Amino acid sequence: MLWIENIQLAISAIKANKLRSFLTMLGIIIGISSVISITSIGASAKGAVSDEFDSLGKAYMYIMINYSQLAEIYSDYSVMTDDLFSEADVEALKERFPQDIRYAVLYTYNNSETRVGRTTADLAMVGVAENYNDFNKTIRMLYGRMINESDVKGRRDRIVIDTECARKLFGRENVVGEELSIQVGGDARDFTVVGVYRMEETLSSQITAAMGRTSYSVYVPYSAMLSGEGLSSYIEIYGNPDKDVRQQGEAYATYMNRIKDKPEGFYMVESAEGQQDIINQILGVLSVAIGAIAAISLLVGGIGIMNIMLVSVTERTREIGIRKSLGARTRDILVQFLIEAVILSVIGGIIGTILGIGVAALGMSLAGVRVVVQPLVVVLAVLFSAGVGLFFGLFPARRAAKLDPIEALRYE
Amino acid sequence: MKEVIRIENLFKVYDNGPLQVKALDDVSLTIEKGEFVAIMGASGSGKSTLMNIIGCLDRATEGEYLLNGMNIKEKKDDELSHVRNTNIGFVFQFFNLIARTSALRNVELPMIYAKIGREERQQRALQLLKDVGLSDRGHHLPNELSGGQKQRVAIARALANNPSILLADEPTGNLDSQSSVEIMEIFQKLNRELGTTVIVVTHEPEISLFANRVLTFRDGKIIGDKRRPPKGKGGNHHVVD
Repeated sequence: MLWIENIQLAISAIKANKLRSFLTMLGIIIGISSVISITSIGASAKGAVSDEFDSLGKAYMYIMINYSQLAEIYSDYSVMTDDLFSEADVEALKERFPQDIRYAVLYTYNNSETRVGRTTADLAMVGVAENYNDFNKTIRMLYGRMINESDVKGRRDRIVIDTECARKLFGRENVVGEELSIQVGGDARDFTVVGVYRMEETLSSQITAAMGRTSYSVYVPYSAMLSGEGLSSYIEIYGNPDKDVRQQGEAYATYMNRIKDKPEGFYMVESAEGQQDIINQILGVLSVAIGAIAAISLLVGGIGIMNIMLVSVTERTREIGIRKSLGARTRDILVQFLIEAVILSVIGGIIGTILGIGVAALGMSLAGVRVVVQPLVVVLAVLFSAGVGLFFGLFPARRAAKLDPIEALRYE
Repeated sequence: MKEVIRIENLFKVYDNGPLQVKALDDVSLTIEKGEFVAIMGASGSGKSTLMNIIGCLDRATEGEYLLNGMNIKEKKDDELSHVRNTNIGFVFQFFNLIARTSALRNVELPMIYAKIGREERQQRALQLLKDVGLSDRGHHLPNELSGGQKQRVAIARALANNPSILLADEPTGNLDSQSSVEIMEIFQKLNRELGTTVIVVTHEPEISLFANRVLTFRDGKIIGDKRRPPKGKGGNHHVVD
């Protein structure tokens, strides 16, 4: 059979019933566009997550007590001071792995409120050592400087805040030299602002901004934040990004177990890379799950195509009879109606693809994340819609092809 | 003369539950190349059934039918499609043009199924439309044409693959008398000039006057088979049997 003739025929049949054809396509359009937008959003989210972790550095990790393992071994275990990390532990770790550990510090954190005049702000205070911003790429210094070695060594009450915090408290950005009164461990202390930074935009900063910022990330010398015993539950580490991160982490945890005389598996390492894997896994499962639900709408769309093709076959019974009397074979009629069904669903698939990419682009631009369109998914979507047309068009087309010419010619 | 159609002891029985209806009852008939045959009879007399069998749209219950020497009984459905495509041109009472499709495309249709190339097809379709006097109507849709024009498009379509037989089932049944005469004159011209075998089913005696042989049906049997010189072009004298 001649393909061009059949395609022209199908297009003119679709054009003749524009509204009906469009409504029929709607199922496919919705199905394909949801599959495309969901997979694009999933891929974009993956991209954003990987950007986020890239800014932290993939070799970012921390050593901590493996609580879930402890809970399995002991029914109730209460952490003892001996289990926590001290400065000596950090130094030992650094000395053991001088090549790989670029930065290691006892993790300290404090959440408290500060007030300037009548304005208050919640501060999320992170204790850092010098050169922290060499590793954390989200920090871009605008005024002053980052926490330096003498701040850390002298346990000085110095603070680096971000531009938005500065604007909120002081109404301007360059506030180097100002003082902030902050409660730390029950004492009110005055911290001197030594630097102001701007946070690079990442997915989490976007989300934080969108949800309404509740606190500002500020940096202080970790030494100034340590409690009396100088202990912490975590050691924050930037390892060697050129080496396998998981292996490094295992080596550090094993070393800690050894020097602190703990059973195997007592300490564990969480890495940015490992978390990224977990998040990607969750995103992947979510994409597949939502994609499967969207695929059901494709099934519904396919049934819509079958329905309208059956109507079309009935309406055109006489035409089929005429064609058969003029010499059309069973196969000619079959191909004619199949092509019509396939074209109907492929047009739906193309519209759906464009719509889906549009929806994903719109959603991602609102979230400030770059859109990732996977060409393979687009090709698959269009092919799949063709498959839907073929599958659901087959039954009506066979019915048309098998019509008896005399009965078809008599059909009113 | 060459035999185009040979029918021997043909039966067509419709099984209607307990009731068996004999639409054709032991019909034998030969038609030679170049004949212009009118088949007459009341409705239900079996003339349309015979027409469908001759046109390879239907099969006989029993009996032989040879078309140009081919035994039709042995053909599969798709082979019958091919026989219809190449050997038979149909003209119907209700024109049966395909809607929303230009006159030209309608005429091209049998050639599409015969897998004739686009250019040759279009040229031939244009020529055929010109032959039936519709060279300026090629791009009109069926619903933009008058009844007579539609039937002329149908004739052009029927001739597309140079069939050996033109089968017309009540071709003037839906036309006014002037268009009827015009259509019958086209058949006559084709019959005389190209030697096309023409078979017309009709219940109008005036129409049968264009033929040179009249078969009369009643209750599924041929009750009359008369040959005579046909009505002359444009003339209106009645020929006595």
